[in-house]
Amino acid sequence: MHIPDNYLSPVTCAVMAAAMVPVWTVSIKKVKAEITAAKMPMLGVAAAFSFLMMMFNIPLPGGTTGHAVGGIFIAVLLGPFAACISVTVALLIQAFLFGDGGILAFGANCFNMAFVLPFFGYAVYKFIKNRFKGEKGEYIGMAVGAYFGLNLAALITAIEFGIQPLLFKNAAGQPLYCPYPLSVAIPAMMLPHLLVAGFVEVAFTVGLYTFIKKASPEIINEVPEKKGKAIYGLVLALICLTPLGLLATGTAWGEWGAEDISGVITKGNALGFVPEGMKKGFSFNTFMPDYQINGLPEIVGYILSAVAGVVIFVLLFRIVAGLMKGHKSGGLVD
Amino acid sequence: MINDDINQNALPQWLIKTEAYAPSRDSAPFIQKSIITLLRILSRIHAQNAKAHIIQANPVIKMLYTFLFVLLLSMTGSLSFVAIAVVYQLAVLSLMRTEVLLGVVKVSLGVALFTFIVLLPTIFYGNFYSMQMILPKVFAAVVAVNLLSHTTRWNELTASVKYFHVPDLFIFVLDITIKYILLLGEFSLHMLYAVQLRSVGKNRNKVLSFSGIGGTLFLKSREMAEDMVAAMTCRGFSGEYRVYTKYRFRKMDALYVLIMALFVLLFIYT
Repeated sequence: MHIPDNYLSPVTCAVMAAAMVPVWTVSIKKVKAEITAAKMPMLGVAAAFSFLMMMFNIPLPGGTTGHAVGGIFIAVLLGPFAACISVTVALLIQAFLFGDGGILAFGANCFNMAFVLPFFGYAVYKFIKNRFKGEKGEYIGMAVGAYFGLNLAALITAIEFGIQPLLFKNAAGQPLYCPYPLSVAIPAMMLPHLLVAGFVEVAFTVGLYTFIKKASPEIINEVPEKKGKAIYGLVLALICLTPLGLLATGTAWGEWGAEDISGVITKGNALGFVPEGMKKGFSFNTFMPDYQINGLPEIVGYILSAVAGVVIFVLLFRIVAGLMKGHKSGGLVD
Repeated sequence: MINDDINQNALPQWLIKTEAYAPSRDSAPFIQKSIITLLRILSRIHAQNAKAHIIQANPVIKMLYTFLFVLLLSMTGSLSFVAIAVVYQLAVLSLMRTEVLLGVVKVSLGVALFTFIVLLPTIFYGNFYSMQMILPKVFAAVVAVNLLSHTTRWNELTASVKYFHVPDLFIFVLDITIKYILLLGEFSLHMLYAVQLRSVGKNRNKVLSFSGIGGTLFLKSREMAEDMVAAMTCRGFSGEYRVYTKYRFRKMDALYVLIMALFVLLFIYT
């Protein structure tokens, strides 16, 4: 899943790196709150472990071998924030010192493997674990989390590849970077991950966890039991997926503007006219019409609109909650 | 005769029988492959300290030079720029020592081959542009980054990110990571050897040993991390860490700057 340079456009790389900045900031804050500065070097050892785990070959049926990322295992044992930092450091060393994975694509690689994978995997693990009590829920949660965490990361990677030919073409219409559209990139990435790599990650996560639970159960008990805020991670991931909207040509059903409605097709016939009421109706000019901001590239406009939307909703909810409870409730970064 | 009697009484019967035990062959490619990967990484870490390979220049300038090269290469739409970049990197490679040359070529050709396979279907769609542009771009970029890593001391490389406002403590974590990749890597290598030595003949449990190796490695890493923190606390470490970097501007640095300027001009005019 390590993307080399020149598969993605520098613009995509910059957007992905920018998306990682808040994730890194929050992760460092969270980890700092848990361990003192004097213990920070421990993160280096965790990163070294994460690096080596990506190098281990895991036996697959038929005598072949595969690699795991190990992000979900670290997230389960050390928390998703520590996992994010360890995997990031491991990826940094791979990219700059071992030449594995691009240096421009570093942000994108971190987004897929240090953010989506551990946070989503951990969110699924927590969700299932909290619903099925006992050991069973723990193992099922871990297996499902590892499988879907890895596959979501692969899907996001495929989307990053797939949007390249749509967004970046030269004057002759030839794709400048990854030439495969979504219709090719998604199946090409997802088939091997759904069929093989996902199970490698499951075997790795569950295998190592089972061993540690037997060999050193006190470490499992040390895992801080916290109500996961991994949902924020999901929201962030969804924000970054919003440019996918660029791919759709139509308008959402029932959300037609005056210029769209004459093209609405019912039972095979286009409407063919604009209703009088809509023609002269109230027209609202937003700050970000069609999720675009003048002077900014379309994709940036989309992401900015999504961020603004989420921020406004969070603000609204916190204001309402604050008024109802009459006291300050904690934010994400406190 | 008497001697034989004594021997037969003293030793159990099964011990006297000559056995022809030939263990059935067992292959565990995952252990073999893991050993090879680990050895490659460990030897790479050991080799990065070899003085002979280091190009004596300011690591910050080297890093900027590599980053600029990869960025321009990625942004260009001109085939002549790509061609010049590839030839330039090959020329630089030809000046390197044999060990560096082989190390860089191996990694770069591997990535290039992977890219070639990935891009192969585009040819059947009649798209020759991707193969013509992306393949050489990928190759030149991988060569550039690998040359940087082979010709610079890694602790200098990590220290140089201080100029990009990376906190000192993060640089410290990076250095610790490299050291512990070496330590934990050697530790896991020993475990893999142990599994290999102790399994004679067919051993179905060998497949399950990976979770034991990985799990032990995790426990060991925690133990080592705690030991290190304790040792550092004893020596007065309080979480303050300062990276000191002092570089003079040398002749070699001027050469790097000149090449950077040439590539920028080339980018603009091609």
